[in-house]
Amino acid sequence: MVVKRKRETTVVSKPQAKENSPPPVDNAQDVFRRLFEAQFEPLDLPGPTAKSTNSDEENEDDDDSDLSGSEGDWDGMSDISDESNQVEVVEHTGTYAAPTDRMDKKTWKAFMSGKLLSDLDKPSIEPEPTSKKEEEEDAHESANLKHDLALQRLLKESHLLDSADDLAPTGKNRLKALDLRMQSLGAKTSLYAQTKMPTAHRRGIKAKAESKEDRRRQEAKENGVILEKPSKVQKSSNNGRRDRGLVGSSVGKFAGGTLNLNKDDIARVQASGRRTMGGRGKGKTRGGRGGRGGSKR
Amino acid sequence: MATSQPPLRFTSHHNLVYRLVLSTLTGRTVHISQIRSSSPTNPGLAPHEISFLRLLDAITNGSQMEISYTGTVLVYKPGLITGSTAGTGASGGMITYELPSNCNRGLSYFLIPLCLLAPFAKAPMKVLFTGPGVITSSTPTGDMSVDSVRTAILPLYKHFGIFNNIELRILRRSNTGPTGRGGGGEVQLVFGHQVRLPKTLHLMNAGRIKRIRGVVYSVGVSGSNNARMIETARGILNPLSPDTYIFSDVASAPLVPAPDKTNPQAKKKIGLGFGLSLVAESSTGCLFSADVASPPSGGQAPEEIGKQCAFQLLETVAKGGCVAPAAVTTMFTLMTMGSEDVGRLQVGRDVIADPNVVQLARDLSKFGAPGWGIRDAPDNGDGDVIVSVVGRGIGNVGRKVA
Repeated sequence: MVVKRKRETTVVSKPQAKENSPPPVDNAQDVFRRLFEAQFEPLDLPGPTAKSTNSDEENEDDDDSDLSGSEGDWDGMSDISDESNQVEVVEHTGTYAAPTDRMDKKTWKAFMSGKLLSDLDKPSIEPEPTSKKEEEEDAHESANLKHDLALQRLLKESHLLDSADDLAPTGKNRLKALDLRMQSLGAKTSLYAQTKMPTAHRRGIKAKAESKEDRRRQEAKENGVILEKPSKVQKSSNNGRRDRGLVGSSVGKFAGGTLNLNKDDIARVQASGRRTMGGRGKGKTRGGRGGRGGSKR
Repeated sequence: MATSQPPLRFTSHHNLVYRLVLSTLTGRTVHISQIRSSSPTNPGLAPHEISFLRLLDAITNGSQMEISYTGTVLVYKPGLITGSTAGTGASGGMITYELPSNCNRGLSYFLIPLCLLAPFAKAPMKVLFTGPGVITSSTPTGDMSVDSVRTAILPLYKHFGIFNNIELRILRRSNTGPTGRGGGGEVQLVFGHQVRLPKTLHLMNAGRIKRIRGVVYSVGVSGSNNARMIETARGILNPLSPDTYIFSDVASAPLVPAPDKTNPQAKKKIGLGFGLSLVAESSTGCLFSADVASPPSGGQAPEEIGKQCAFQLLETVAKGGCVAPAAVTTMFTLMTMGSEDVGRLQVGRDVIADPNVVQLARDLSKFGAPGWGIRDAPDNGDGDVIVSVVGRGIGNVGRKVA
């Protein structure tokens, strides 16, 4: 851009100094031109070279009258027209100044990776790395949060308050609020969760929950949505066999601090010892384990 | 199920790929005859069409194809689209598919139809394209570059609710080989989102162009070509859209084995050249793309390529509508496969007047899809039309069973 301006200013000044001396820029071209014209016919191109010889000057004047007949005495037209030719040249070779077209490596990687959507959806300017100021702001934010504990609680427990309109709940609501806080602090179950109920009742609740979950998974599968893996159902403590305590012996009965063996047990132990890992004994223990491990699920 | 129906009869090689795709999606057998039967020198199926049939064979289970001696008659009985399940030619969950060196079509010729099949597969579709016939750039035969497929075609699947785990990695780039055939690229497609039915599409607001992105690539030639292409393209596009960025990728030329008598291990460089892929995104998520690459014979300056591509992009945008011509078959096919509901799509008049689109519409109706309703778009003077497409509700046969 700057280069172009400069040239234009020289153009304006050119017509005044035209008679005296050709501009130095065209010197080399003129030399070539003269050489050419010495050997061949003179050229009748409009242009700055026309200034060098008299015959060409006439030509140039002709051109001027052709080009700008109405403009009268101002004869810089041809110069300007060929200056515009030169402008084209400048535009062609000039450097295109674009300081911002360099994308940083990260953006480049994001775009050129195989991913599809993230790259185009991503804003082209990524957030700057966290500065000290931002960290300070974060600290401030957390302090604010602490100050707002009361508000947080209110928000959390507001569903209890729809009847009461004071901020410190009383009575039943107070107990419920306490329970919620206990849970948020890490209590495993609610204090008021029903622990005892008829088996049929509990089974019903369980079955309903399961069917709900199943339906959700089914729908997700049909729609092609990928869900989380089904969580392993935790083993309840007393499925299969009862807990045998520290002395988890597989024979006999442990009661009152003593292992009581009846005759059958003794016979079995002796039999397995004699057979030296006999097939039957082993098979039996394995079968027992299988039953214990629970083919319930 | 589909066996009882008589095969659908088609003639000529036009639109062969989409006929095969539709056949696979609907489960109808097709009988295509008179394939280049009038050509005295090259009658019958072309190498790239054979390659596509082999690809179909690789990703489906139980499809049968019969080709006559001259190759002018093809009977294709589709199987189930399995994707890349273990035991069906997939190693490590990835089907490796090799293209022969006499292939003169760009990889997008295979990729775009494959992506149409992929959402209806039983398992995720993972295909690795290798071999001496993989051309990742755009080609003189009119195929777009793989970059454009990634940036301009695949994001469109989002409109149909298909967006998870879709990746197209260009592991090695290659332009067209010296005679216009062959390359040496390597491309990996992962299409991991399978659905029962694509969502119904209503896209009637093209919005305004928000940003322009592009990829400029040089394979085996100087990276300064990239800068020159970028400069020219940006010079044209920047005044129109300030958010224009073109990413540059310089790759070395791929080596393909070229054994001769003295040296059986010999390799040669192939696929040198450069090219440019531009994508314009509108504020409503419509994508328009343009693609130009250096011709295999060479002799074109990078500035020329950059300029051509920029103008091509402007022309594509000027055609109007919500869909670029390159993506219109994808959109209409997915709409037809959608649920039994009317989807609407605004399309430029020039886009729908394309012979390929008309042919697609005829083929679709032959496959039993209801006709399209076309009416003028109400509020714009560009002469856009709104096309209403009723879905067939077939969707994913494989998923219905599973």
